[in-house]
Amino acid sequence: MTRAELAPTDPVLHSFAAELGDRGLVSIAGRGTRWSAGGEIAPGVQILRAPTGIVEVSPAEMTVRVRAGTLVADLNDALAEVGQRSALPERGGTVGGAIAVGEDHLDVLGRGRVRDSVLQVRYVSAEGKIISAGGAVVKNVSGFNLPKLITGSLGTLGAIAEVVLRTNPKPSMSQWLVSCDADPQLSFNTLYRPSCVLWDGSRTWVHLEGHAVDVAAEFDGLRHVGKFEPADSPPELPAHRWALTPRDAASMTSVEGGDFVASIGVGTLWADRPQAATPIDAALNVVHQRAKSLFDPTGRLNPGRAV
Amino acid sequence: MLRDLRRALSRERVRYGAADRTLFAHDASVFEGGLSGPICFPESTAEVQDIMRIAMQHERSVVPRGAGTGLTGGAIPLGAPIVVAMTKMDTILEVDIANGVAWVEPGVVNLDLTRSLSELGFNFAPDPSSQQVCTIGGNVANNAGGPHCLAYGVTDAHVLAIEVVLSSGDVVTLGSVRGESLGLDLRGAFVGSEGTLGIATKIAVRLSKNPPAVRTLLLSFSSMRDAAQTVSDVVAAGIVPAAMEVMDREITNAVENYVGAGYPRDAAAVLLAEVEGLEGGVEIDSQRIVEVAQSNNAKSIHRAESEAERALLWKGRKTAFGAIAQIKPDYYLHDSVVPRSKLADVLESIYEIGARHDLMVMNVFHAGDGNLHPILLYDGRIAGELERVHAAGAEIVRACLAVGGVLSGEHGIGVEKQPYMEEQFSSDDLDHQERLRRSFDPMCRVNPGKVLPEGHSCADIQALRSIPTGVWG
Amino acid sequence: MTGPIDLLLDPEALNGCVQCGLCLPHCPTYRVTGEEALSPRGRIKLMREVQDHGAPVTKDVLRSFETCVQCRGCESACPSAVPFGHLIEQTRASLVREGISRSALMRIALKALEFPRLLRLGTAFLSIANRMKLIPKQLGLPARLPVRQPAIPSTGQDVFLFTGCVMDAWQRDVHAAGARVLEAAGFGVTPTNELVPCCGALHAHAGLSDDARRLAEKAIRGLSGDDRPILVDSAGCGASMKDFGRMLDTEEAKAFSERVFDIGEWLANHLDRLPEVAPLDLSVAIQDPCHLRHVQRVHETTRAALSPFVSTLIELDDDGLCCGAGGAFMVLEPAMAGSIRDRKCASIERSGADVIASANPGCSMHLADAGVKMMHPMELIDRAIAAARA
Repeated sequence: MTRAELAPTDPVLHSFAAELGDRGLVSIAGRGTRWSAGGEIAPGVQILRAPTGIVEVSPAEMTVRVRAGTLVADLNDALAEVGQRSALPERGGTVGGAIAVGEDHLDVLGRGRVRDSVLQVRYVSAEGKIISAGGAVVKNVSGFNLPKLITGSLGTLGAIAEVVLRTNPKPSMSQWLVSCDADPQLSFNTLYRPSCVLWDGSRTWVHLEGHAVDVAAEFDGLRHVGKFEPADSPPELPAHRWALTPRDAASMTSVEGGDFVASIGVGTLWADRPQAATPIDAALNVVHQRAKSLFDPTGRLNPGRAV
Repeated sequence: MLRDLRRALSRERVRYGAADRTLFAHDASVFEGGLSGPICFPESTAEVQDIMRIAMQHERSVVPRGAGTGLTGGAIPLGAPIVVAMTKMDTILEVDIANGVAWVEPGVVNLDLTRSLSELGFNFAPDPSSQQVCTIGGNVANNAGGPHCLAYGVTDAHVLAIEVVLSSGDVVTLGSVRGESLGLDLRGAFVGSEGTLGIATKIAVRLSKNPPAVRTLLLSFSSMRDAAQTVSDVVAAGIVPAAMEVMDREITNAVENYVGAGYPRDAAAVLLAEVEGLEGGVEIDSQRIVEVAQSNNAKSIHRAESEAERALLWKGRKTAFGAIAQIKPDYYLHDSVVPRSKLADVLESIYEIGARHDLMVMNVFHAGDGNLHPILLYDGRIAGELERVHAAGAEIVRACLAVGGVLSGEHGIGVEKQPYMEEQFSSDDLDHQERLRRSFDPMCRVNPGKVLPEGHSCADIQALRSIPTGVWG
Repeated sequence: MTGPIDLLLDPEALNGCVQCGLCLPHCPTYRVTGEEALSPRGRIKLMREVQDHGAPVTKDVLRSFETCVQCRGCESACPSAVPFGHLIEQTRASLVREGISRSALMRIALKALEFPRLLRLGTAFLSIANRMKLIPKQLGLPARLPVRQPAIPSTGQDVFLFTGCVMDAWQRDVHAAGARVLEAAGFGVTPTNELVPCCGALHAHAGLSDDARRLAEKAIRGLSGDDRPILVDSAGCGASMKDFGRMLDTEEAKAFSERVFDIGEWLANHLDRLPEVAPLDLSVAIQDPCHLRHVQRVHETTRAALSPFVSTLIELDDDGLCCGAGGAFMVLEPAMAGSIRDRKCASIERSGADVIASANPGCSMHLADAGVKMMHPMELIDRAIAAARA
């Protein structure tokens, strides 16, 4: 095998690479659901869109190959047809956008982290080349883990074109429960593997997924914790995500200036105002800056935006 | 420089005798080209910083090392660097149940951690076969897997934060024990980087709850194809068992000689499948696995009847590599991953390649992940055997790559699989991998000459390998 | 530093190691130091360097070989069945032959073991000196050595009870308890006393292979003309006598080794002959002597024999890792023996047991010295039977 043969053959990816080229300021837009993350794009930047389409769904491999411009909703519909699902959150955006932001699904405990589900990523580099990173199988430690670096990089290191994601079987049953008198941490501790436990200062929600018999057993186990009743859906989440230790999230009773919802066992908290910023460590910032200058020496990818 | 190191640590924790340098030139791989400089045994983060700064001052490289059980030569020193043996930093610093995390030093042994958590009802999920000896630091370096990673994911999914000494000597914390923080996932980039991005000095691992119910099935088959098909069909049926492991007849017999766990000796392949979770679902899933196996002509179906039997079956599976010396003194091991549905075909090719090169081939593998471990047996004392092993190995790797596989599922690239990197990645791909490496370690001072093949690596591998003995005077 | 030395190791045994490292956590010296040179894998690698590549035996190499406790925990852990114990014994024997081992000095010390009366006299002297605090503590002597003890009476002709050397001088009460338990099971006991002065285990471990062979031959002669079972209440001695067949490689020696049983092993096979009595109200943790667990591999029988006689049996959580006694090891390497013992004591502490049962005098002395309440399993069984009779 020669090296030339290793480059992806999909013409759609090549035309995306050609469009992006190797000069000029560019940014890739999805549906703009997190457009302001990392700062506003500088004026005068050419806005491109990533290619769309689901290339291959392989339920027996628990993988799917999908182009970055595809809507997460469309991906999830296609997966549902074969009894599978992904770890990506559905909030109206694209696959590429979800990965560039790297935000987890509310059910991260059940679905896994977005970062862990990206098996392979093909992106267009600042030099306009298609780079393949990772591999299309569920387990891989061949070489440096570029998919991890790209996921959550807000498009500042490369323009995501196509990914292979790990999928999982869709559980046969899904049930949200809510209680007004249950301790959130105790609820979490009582359950074996809940998909999500939420707490808003007075109510506790629990999302149980799996075999019907297991969901029933977990429900039953919660009787000693509080009075739980079936709920149609999780609560509305305030706009701003905070990162806390799981302990702090569980012991939160109020957030100044509004409502909050905390994810127990995870440490994510949603509030009406942003979390106070913590300054980035200077030595760590050196690594960030070096990565940016090595991957995008001319600063043409998403100028104005920083991770 | 030795004086500086000894002043920073202590005389007895900086070794430079011939005996130690010989021992630290090797790990569990067959690679023979290592050359060790001084060996340091730090006991604190500050000492690791001192070592790093002294190394940089003297323009020397450093190579971190755990228990030395790596199979691809990742911890082998090239070019007489300072070997930093992390085995004395082996304290479990804090088990924080409320936050679901344990902070450990990198020298903590994997199984020791899980054992110390078991009383509290938790475990550290990655369980590589060497878990009784390998260290958490080594697990992080190799993004170690193990049989139970099928359901729970490899090390990466279980490491929340890492304190790292960078080549500059600075200490940074990658990742966080707090909820998902957005931004560059430097923690994720570090896990699996084979000790090339810095030296981990503290690791925060995620605690996993012990499952309320476990069912272990021992299934045997008259053909490897039936076993492989069963694995593929189980996953296609929407079941993700905690583990699915296959062993062929030869390796099963070697294992059985050692443990006497009751593995059937006459089957062409045995499949060890484990389902974990809540009682009801475990029963349903194990019953469905049995049905899938039956429809694939299972020869025997057995459920482990006690915890002791289960432990013995796993002991057999996990000591399989070591048991090989009963048959031949040397072995060479590959670690490719192929799509699950291609398992049966690839295995047939592997046996055929072995036969053509007149080599004994055995297979013991994480079937659920499609992670093959073809083992080529040989006797290094017989002229020409190793050459045949390399030739057959290359063909096996190509057969795996040809069906969309990858070089390594959990052992890493190290020095042994470097040449194959160019068969999986284009030169542009590898160039970007090198950019990741240089983001952390611009001068390539930490574990130089690993992972990336010649021409791409930060350091000139040939130059590293040709440094004469006695360079340290 | 030396010139090239042929260690005379069996190349097949040496090549059996694939350097996988699975032995590392089972090696007490690796466990407490984290050093490759102090691990079985490291030691084998250095043996190869010396034997196959002519590497000199430097101070470091000698340290590697001489710090092995010879617990043989690595053998139980080795999937390739490398006979590490034989390799290290042969290595030491070769070093003794070359005159570069401290074992040469050991020869003088171990000579005393062949003279039971001398040993008992010396013990009485040591005991008095010890009580007067004249013996430095790091010598690791038991806190209270007996001054004088009554001889074990012969009660019949069914079985031999091997009395040996140091144990007979220092822990004769264990022999007495074992003899009473055997009698309670209806076995007439003949103590071996002067018939076999010493089994030679410590000599073999030190690489004094000529002495070890001579003592083995003497033992076989002393108990020949008879096919009675030979019961041993010291795990180290039992392991050594079971190995006579391999070591001497004669039909006579093999037949002798076939007759050797650990006393717990023997009783586990004759449980129905022991009286049924109320168990002692004690929680007992078993500390497996390495030579029972890793060499004789009959440590489970201790549990079978003991469990009817105590209320609670507890397993320690350290996979049978050595306690650091190692025969002469605790005297020769007191610092490392102490660190290894600290690990064992931590495990004992976690177990919460009242008493630790060990079927080996070395382990008992070493652990008792750290303040652990030690008893031989025979003493516990004996006490339970006596309590029932009282």
